[in-house]
Amino acid sequence: MKRMWLVGLNTFRESIRKKTLYIILIFALIVIGASKLFSFLTAEEELKMIKDVSFSAIEFFGALIAIFGALYAVSAEIERRTIYTLLTKPIRRSDFVIGKFFGVSMIIFVNFVLAAAFFIGLLIFKKSPPDIQVFKTLLLIFFELILIGSITLALSTFTSDAFNIICSFFLYIVGHLTSYGKELIERMENIVMKGLTDMLYTLVPNYENFNIRDKIVVGLDVSWSYVGWTVLYGILYMCIALYIALYFFEKREV
Amino acid sequence: MAIIETKELTKHYILGRKKIVVGLEKVNLEINQGEIFGILGPNGSGKTTCLKLLLGILFPTSGEAYIMGRPPHDIEMKQHVGFLPENPYYYDYLTGPELLWFYAGLFGLDIDTAKKRIEYLLELVELHTAKRLHLRHYSKGMLERIGLAASLINDPEILILDEPTTGLDPIGCRDTRNLLLKLKEQGKTILLSSHFLSEVERVCDRIAIFHRGYLLATGTLDGLNKQYQAENLEDLFVKTICKFDNQQNVTTGETT
Repeated sequence: MKRMWLVGLNTFRESIRKKTLYIILIFALIVIGASKLFSFLTAEEELKMIKDVSFSAIEFFGALIAIFGALYAVSAEIERRTIYTLLTKPIRRSDFVIGKFFGVSMIIFVNFVLAAAFFIGLLIFKKSPPDIQVFKTLLLIFFELILIGSITLALSTFTSDAFNIICSFFLYIVGHLTSYGKELIERMENIVMKGLTDMLYTLVPNYENFNIRDKIVVGLDVSWSYVGWTVLYGILYMCIALYIALYFFEKREV
Repeated sequence: MAIIETKELTKHYILGRKKIVVGLEKVNLEINQGEIFGILGPNGSGKTTCLKLLLGILFPTSGEAYIMGRPPHDIEMKQHVGFLPENPYYYDYLTGPELLWFYAGLFGLDIDTAKKRIEYLLELVELHTAKRLHLRHYSKGMLERIGLAASLINDPEILILDEPTTGLDPIGCRDTRNLLLKLKEQGKTILLSSHFLSEVERVCDRIAIFHRGYLLATGTLDGLNKQYQAENLEDLFVKTICKFDNQQNVTTGETT
């Protein structure tokens, strides 16, 4: 456990010192800050707009940080050949993979907390302190980001960087369109296409499950049981992604 | 008793659909405790492949490898092994001491032991004056020296060095040579690969000559010189390799 933690901490330290992911975070903060520009709207409309834009910015820029953070975590070790010195130490390959997952999760967490704190600060400034529904939305966004990071991490154990980026973004987009996909499948007549699309629908994580912001922004409540089940759903997919990462990295020559 | 052993160790690389490149072919090696053993060979002869197979970085196509009687992926065995890769690259955002602390942690050293060890090693490789410098600002020679310090962080019983003097100036080479001899006096076993014949000649008790993935000769330098009627290591090296190439050409029908 200590070795996993050390690998994770080293991954996190690298992202802090290299500062590359800061740029994405700065963009997120700019977009969240820019949502205040809608002051020509009524106070209620403006607040909705701030919430909507901020949730979207935290989610989208967080996804970029998760994808690039996870991509860099493994591939850089192999490209720079630092992995030679690491794997010849008393460390299992599984320690390395799970350590990297810890590291990527820390990167996502810190960037997420900074962006979320900025957003909450903005709400307080607007004299509308966040209610529990806002925190539920943020919690689900956080788990979605961790899931995105773990999927990119799994892909990085057996694909090239370019293929990984394409796949990760493809899954991110398709994962947000799965509800439309279901309707599409029901209308399909070609059995083969229907089967393939159905398989894709089942395999691809449904990121829309984590999206409750549309409801929260218009003042609807989302139950804790929904939040709990969605978190469990995310954890299940994370476990599958980590299992895939471990399976391929155990067999990989570096 | 052999502390490092390979049995018919073979590694084939598959390039494309049908092309197979021999990385290592049925290599049998026995390296005894307390000796300095040198692996020699031209570029692409299989030296690094052999070391990577021993350390579990690569997986063998067939055959077996053991260090201290344990297979390459064994965690307990790795506790006693130090490794310096060829042209070492490290985390360039870390300082020298931070790198050593990271590796000390992976070996499970307690804080007091790690602190003493890091101070000692930084003095040993003469990097104690560059404690605050990030590795990205290190010269090639400095990287080689911090790599050597990192390979010694766990006070290993077995030291595996891949081209340890590449990038070092003559004084650095001499210091490394003296350090290896000092470590041998302490009872350490050292396996090194190199194509610097003079370095190998000066420090190694026994050598092995590799070429095109095959182990051509192994033994003491004197013994091999007599066997191949060679005057020195360079002569021996050329003779063994030319003999092998000629045999291969006869087999394949090529002319030189």
